[in-house]
Amino acid sequence: MSTTATDRGTDSGTVVLELNDVHTYYGAIHALKGVTLDVRAGEIVTLIGANGAGKSTTLRSINGLNHARKGAIRFSGRDITGAAPHSIVKMGIAQSPEGRRLFPRMSVYENLEMGAFQRKDRSNFKGDLDRVFQLFPRLAERRQQKAGTLSGGEQQMCAIGRALMARPKLLLLDEPSMGLAPIFVEKIFEIIVEINQQGTPVLLVEQNALMALDVANRGYVLETGRIALQGEAKDLRQNERVRQTYLGET
Amino acid sequence: MSTARATFTERWRQLPDVVQRLALPALVLLLAILYPWYFGGLPGAFPAVETAVIMLIFTVMALGLNVVVGYAGLLDLGYVAFYAAGAYVAAWLASVQFEQVTFHLGSIGIVDTLPGIHISIWIVLVAAALFTTIVGVLIGLPTLRLRGDYLAIVTLGFGEIVPQVVRNGDDFGGFDLTHGTFGISPIDSIGFGNTLNDTLGLPASYQTSTNRAELFYLTALALLLFTVFCSVRLRDSRLGRAWIAIREDETAAAAMGVPLMRTKTWSYATGAFFGGLAGAFYAVFKSGAFPSDFFFNFSIFILCMVILGGMGSVWGVIVGGLVLSYLDREGLAKVGSFASDVLNRPIDVPKYAFGVYGAIIVAMMLFRPAGMIPEKRHRLEIDEGVESAAVASAEQGGDGRRGDG
Repeated sequence: MSTTATDRGTDSGTVVLELNDVHTYYGAIHALKGVTLDVRAGEIVTLIGANGAGKSTTLRSINGLNHARKGAIRFSGRDITGAAPHSIVKMGIAQSPEGRRLFPRMSVYENLEMGAFQRKDRSNFKGDLDRVFQLFPRLAERRQQKAGTLSGGEQQMCAIGRALMARPKLLLLDEPSMGLAPIFVEKIFEIIVEINQQGTPVLLVEQNALMALDVANRGYVLETGRIALQGEAKDLRQNERVRQTYLGET
Repeated sequence: MSTARATFTERWRQLPDVVQRLALPALVLLLAILYPWYFGGLPGAFPAVETAVIMLIFTVMALGLNVVVGYAGLLDLGYVAFYAAGAYVAAWLASVQFEQVTFHLGSIGIVDTLPGIHISIWIVLVAAALFTTIVGVLIGLPTLRLRGDYLAIVTLGFGEIVPQVVRNGDDFGGFDLTHGTFGISPIDSIGFGNTLNDTLGLPASYQTSTNRAELFYLTALALLLFTVFCSVRLRDSRLGRAWIAIREDETAAAAMGVPLMRTKTWSYATGAFFGGLAGAFYAVFKSGAFPSDFFFNFSIFILCMVILGGMGSVWGVIVGGLVLSYLDREGLAKVGSFASDVLNRPIDVPKYAFGVYGAIIVAMMLFRPAGMIPEKRHRLEIDEGVESAAVASAEQGGDGRRGDG
């Protein structure tokens, strides 16, 4: 990985996304027990933690698929805690959901088109499509192929590309490395950094803590629905507890 | 002979794309329009014109249900509710049912002093379709939050509620809304009236015309063409894409910014619109709305047309609708009498109608699960500019070839 957090500096820009004491439930199950975090302009922020710690739930609270029962979520200064998923997308939060969730019987092109569903300005559609195809030349080759027949890595590219078609002001990525061969993981992370350098802040949920902390500016460690640790990514990387629990180092 | 054929093929290929693409549909359409006039010369297996009218009407309903089940993937087992709603609106607005009032608007073939509401059938058809659309929205709003099997069960419930209300609606505190099990009959005739008959030669009244079947046939064909046009246009629209996205993956669609409730309600409303339109026209054709028509098995019958033809495929559903309604109205009886002749003993095939449909569905699921003419998911409007730009960028970034993930 050529680019790291230290290269790009970690100046704290304006706060784009802010979660304040967010509690989210699945029925009676208390999944998030007061999560507070923020993402600032120009940053990659990563959320790491074990299975079931609440990483995906945090994203589902942000994008409106699972509303927080308590606490507040603000995006660009507006309260979006109880907003409908489609209006949140309209405000500028796009995502590559957990498990990619492409439309399997639609072509790559149609999937990308669905990404731009909430956009009013159809005029820039071509330009954005070119941008996605430049980031992922593989998708350009396979534009007419059914998304369900792509390989895992290509599907992930398609999912990220689809999110970019919304021209997001904040990009949520849920486990982009899941189930991918190491060579693809590296490629995906390179592209995440590239997207971020083009000006989009990224909230990255990852189980692959090593890679995530490598590319991120800051990180949060979730444990059973609470933020256990937070800080600069390079500090977390050195943290004894993180190293033992999430990086498998001794 | 073979050279002549070769030159024909060559010449055919040289014709403009538009001609090649539209030739077959145009031929089918021509044959369909002229059917009543050459039907007499066809073998006995072909449906009578009266039967063909019903086939066309049922196919309109199948296309309406296809918007809900085929496009948006919402399993609706209560489609008969819309059929009933459309039929009763037609009956209310064009019969002596509400004899308390006397209101005439463009009615034909009856005296102006006849009690009841008598509105021109053309307006009634539109009113019935719109009223049913509203019924669809009202049923949809509380139920469409449910997914999959749960939605199917609740729609099944509404499919029972509406016919029951109709059957028992002859005494709402003394007010006779639906005339109970007798149904409402007769319904005023459809037609253009004497003035237009004199000036333009348009038929004054279908019911009393000597060409009654032919007139209803052509009007039903026009309704079907309208429905096909709407189906195709909707499928290729932004709304249609949203429906298909919901069918493919509801959560992903929501994550892309598709407003789920609104989009689903639109599909329900669209399906209801065509159900109501067809229901009203059928009631006018039969000159009555009878509760015995509105049973649960009718919902399943229409659903079978969609499954048989190919869910989401407009052309498939047309074929499925025509085939099943033909079997239902005429085909099975003809098979029965043929079998009786051959075997020399009476066999009542129509008695086993639902057994036959069941067998057809099982066979379809085994051999052609996507239907007779499966839906082709393809883009029609691939933009040239996008295409070339994509190729160019693909060439630039040729290092994209790597191992699989």
